[in-house]
Amino acid sequence: MKKIFNYLFYGLKYLLLIASFAISLFVMMRMNIRLEKSFTSIIPELIPFLLLLIIFVINIILNQKQVTNNLFYNITCCLVLSTILFVGYRAIFDKNMVLNEKYGYGIDFNFFDNFISYIKIMLYGLIVGNIFFMFKERDESKQKKV
Amino acid sequence: MKKILLEYANIIGYTVTGLIFGLSFFLLIINFYHMQELSETISVETYNNDNRQLIEQKINTIKNNISVYSQNSYTGNLNIYGLNTSQIKIQECVNIVESDEMMNYFSKSNIDIRDVYNFTGDFRNNVLNDCLVMQIKSMFNTDTIATLPNYNIIKPYVDLNVNSLVQSVGYIQSNIENSDHYYYSTDVNKSNFFDLTNDSYFEIVNKYQQTLDLLVEVSNWYRTVVVGG
Repeated sequence: MKKIFNYLFYGLKYLLLIASFAISLFVMMRMNIRLEKSFTSIIPELIPFLLLLIIFVINIILNQKQVTNNLFYNITCCLVLSTILFVGYRAIFDKNMVLNEKYGYGIDFNFFDNFISYIKIMLYGLIVGNIFFMFKERDESKQKKV
Repeated sequence: MKKILLEYANIIGYTVTGLIFGLSFFLLIINFYHMQELSETISVETYNNDNRQLIEQKINTIKNNISVYSQNSYTGNLNIYGLNTSQIKIQECVNIVESDEMMNYFSKSNIDIRDVYNFTGDFRNNVLNDCLVMQIKSMFNTDTIATLPNYNIIKPYVDLNVNSLVQSVGYIQSNIENSDHYYYSTDVNKSNFFDLTNDSYFEIVNKYQQTLDLLVEVSNWYRTVVVGG
């Protein structure tokens, strides 16, 4: 049962990573167009997404079971990425937020802007957690070799 | 030693992941809650019916009061320019207050946060600005009105009430706009937000009634001036 859940969340986190990255990119690009800023100014906000993707790819390439089979970590990844997706969804579609209607941009930038720092904290937290789990994996694999 | 350090690394890994789990769980739940709060709709059918009746009564009183003067039949010795100006300006106010745009809010049976926000905006623009400031307050700053009886009594009363009403709804509009930023459940937010739709709507309707009360008082003064003169 645990294995099934693990596979489920393991697959889901990749889908959610793509979706949350896409929605964040969309909102931030629209913000930049409105402010007439260059694309480069949103790169720092996107770096944690790319780093997380790189870490996930490393997990796959090095076959790090301690990370990929860690149910708690996979659930946390899904929860974090779902939160980002949900915040992005609300920024675009929740028309009950009056500033969205007042300014008429179609996206509530004020609302999304509040969450950018939390998004970065959560993504960097996942990256740091993943790196610490990697050490454990390396240690166990060495012990098996001995 | 190395094993202990690696064990610590595992513990730190779980700690960091746990903290992130807690933070994201909190943000997700509070977002759901916030979304639900903002989509709240309140039933105001009975309340609106009562208020509409009161408004109609007050508007009829004002209309009756200002209809006592007619330039063609007036035989008194007061300044007719002052009387004409007062009548036109009060009538202009009545037109604004009973306009379809404003009365439309009192025909709704359910109100959501966007209705309250729009109502607040329309109330500020149409009633407070176009009526009270542009008509009533400016009316009492003209020389012809200053010659009418009891001007010195009614003017400070009107000024005081207009100033109070003009400043009274700004915070309601700001509160609704700030509700977009609600993601921490502080005491301030709770007191301001938890019944945002409900409280804001009742507050605006209350100010609407106070505006009409002021207009009734002004029209009473006008009636006394005309009849007494």
